[in-house]
Amino acid sequence: MKILAIETATPASSVAIGTGTTLEAMSLQVNRRGHVGFLVPAIDFCFRQAGWAPTDVDVVAVDIGPGPFTGIRAGISTAQAIAAAIGAPLVTVGSLTALALRAATGRRRIWPVVDVRRGQVATCPYRPVPGGVVRDGMPEVVTPEEFAALVDSGGDDALVVGDWQVLPESVLRGLHRVKTGRPRYPSADVLLEIAALKAGADEFAGPEDVRPLYLREPDAQINWTDIREEGVWPGATS
Amino acid sequence: MSDGLILGIETSCDETGVAVVRGREVLASVLATQTEDHSRFGGVVPEVAARAHVEAIRPLAHLALAKAGVHSDQLDAVAVTRGPGLSGALMVGVAFAKALAWTLGKPLIPVDHMEGHLMAPLIEHEAYAGPAVAVLASGGHSQIVHVRSFGDYEVLGSTIDDAAGEAFDKLARFMGLGYPGGPAIDEASQNGDPDAVTFPRALSDRPFDFSFSGLKTSVVTYLEKAKAAGSLPPVEDVAASIQEAIVDVLVDKTFNAVRETGARAVAGGGGVLANRRLRERLAARADAEGVELYLPTPAYCTDNGAMIAVAAVRHLDEGGAALDIDVDPGLSLA
Ligand SMILES: [Zn+2]
Repeated sequence: MKILAIETATPASSVAIGTGTTLEAMSLQVNRRGHVGFLVPAIDFCFRQAGWAPTDVDVVAVDIGPGPFTGIRAGISTAQAIAAAIGAPLVTVGSLTALALRAATGRRRIWPVVDVRRGQVATCPYRPVPGGVVRDGMPEVVTPEEFAALVDSGGDDALVVGDWQVLPESVLRGLHRVKTGRPRYPSADVLLEIAALKAGADEFAGPEDVRPLYLREPDAQINWTDIREEGVWPGATS
Repeated sequence: MSDGLILGIETSCDETGVAVVRGREVLASVLATQTEDHSRFGGVVPEVAARAHVEAIRPLAHLALAKAGVHSDQLDAVAVTRGPGLSGALMVGVAFAKALAWTLGKPLIPVDHMEGHLMAPLIEHEAYAGPAVAVLASGGHSQIVHVRSFGDYEVLGSTIDDAAGEAFDKLARFMGLGYPGGPAIDEASQNGDPDAVTFPRALSDRPFDFSFSGLKTSVVTYLEKAKAAGSLPPVEDVAASIQEAIVDVLVDKTFNAVRETGARAVAGGGGVLANRRLRERLAARADAEGVELYLPTPAYCTDNGAMIAVAAVRHLDEGGAALDIDVDPGLSLA
C-alpha cells in the first residue's frame, strides 16, 4: 500500500511517502508561515526520489490538528486536491497522536502539547501500550496553568512532549514526577505508520471528517469604530 | 484568444468559486456563498471565511467539472486567485490549485483577483478590449483602472477610506436593513426618491480617488437628528438617497478617467456593479458620451471562478508558475 502523508499542524511542515513499514522519501522544514510554498515542491521532491507517479498512491494521509488553522487548512486542501485528482481515499491523523506515538517512554503517561497560540496549548493524555499508545481522553485547548493542573491531577509519572517550550518556565518547574522530552513537532513519517493501520482497518475519512480539528470557535469581532452599533430606524430592524 | 480548457478557482474573500471555461466560454461556474455565515456579524470574518472555503473547495471543483462535462485530465491548466484578499482564505484556493495542477501534470496559472474582475466582461462581450476605463468596486476594493490593453494597467484612483461595498454594508447595518448592504439598499431603494435627502458627494481633490467616510458621518448625523425631531422620511427615500450619492461618485470618477485617458470604452466589475441604479446611470452616461459600456451580468460582477479562468487564458502559453509560489494578500495591479 503506497501512502502519501502530509503534516502541517505545527510550525514544522513535512511530507513523507512510503508503505507504512518502509519510508521511501521525506522532506521537512520549520517555518511557521511557509506551508503553502513548501508543500507541493516537497511532494514533487519525494516522488522524484522514490520514482513514484501521483497515480501510484493508494492512500493520502493528512494531519487535521489540533494546531494553527492556517497551516492545517493548507495541508488539507493539498491532500484533498491530490486525493480527488487520483481518486484515492483519505485518512486523517491527529497531531497529538502523531506526537505521542513518537514519544520515547517506558510507563509514563504521555502529554503531547501543540501550541495553538493566544497563550493556549492543545493536549490530550495517552497511555503507552505494547507497540503503541492509547488515547486516554479527548483533545482540548487549555491555558498553561490548566495544563499543569491536568497533568498533576493524573498523579502518575508523566512525560510531556511536543512544543512544551512555549509553556512558561514557572509552570514546568511546578510539575512533579514529570519529565519533558521529544519530539517537539509531529512529522509525516509517523503519519505513514498510523495511516497504514487505519487504512488496513478501513478507517477512511468521509467528507465530513476531512476538516481541521478546531476545538474553538472563530473570533468574530467586527471593528465598528466609526459607526454606532444600534440601528436608529424605527421598525426596520428585521 | 486560444481555446484552452481552464479550471478557475477563487477563494480570496467570502465566496468559494470554481469554474471551467474554454477560451471565454463558461462551461460551468459554481459558487458556495457564505453570506449566511457572515450575516450575523455584519461583515466578512476572515476565520469564518477560511473555514467555509476548506469545506467547499473539493465538492465545488467536482461539481464544476461534472457540470461542464469535463474530466480533469482534459484540462489545459489550473488557474487560481493569488491575491489580493484575505490570506487564510487565499491559502485554501492556492494550496488546492497547486496540488491539483501538480497531480494532473498541468500548468498552474496564478491570477490577480482584480485582473479577474477587470476581464470578467469578456465572458459576455467579445468586443471588449483595451483601451478602456474599468471601475472595480466591491466590499473589499474600489479602484478606477486604465486598461491600455489586457496585461497593461494603470491604477488611476482608489478609495482613500472605505470600499464602496463597505460603505453600503455599514450604512445598511446602521439603518437596520441587513447584510450584505449593497443588495439590501438596492432593494429598499426601488420605490424611493433619490432626491429626497441630499447627502454630500465626497469628491476628493484628486480627480480619480474617492472617499465614503464623509457620507457615512453625514447619514448618521442626519438620521439621528431626524429621529430626534420625529421627522424621519420613509426608509426607501433615505436608502435611495444614499445609493444616489455613492453612485454619483462612482459614475463621475469613472467618466473623469474616460475624459483623461481618451478611452472610448468603460468596463465594470465587483459586487457593487451589480447595483441596478449604478448600472442604469453608467449606461445613460456612456450613451450620452458615445462610449461603449461592458458590464458583466451580476453573477459575474461578484466574485466567481469564471473570471479567474478567463483572465488566465492569456497566460496559457507562458508554461505556468513555479510550484513554490505562495499567496500574495497585498498584490496590486501594475
Ligand atoms: Zn472581488
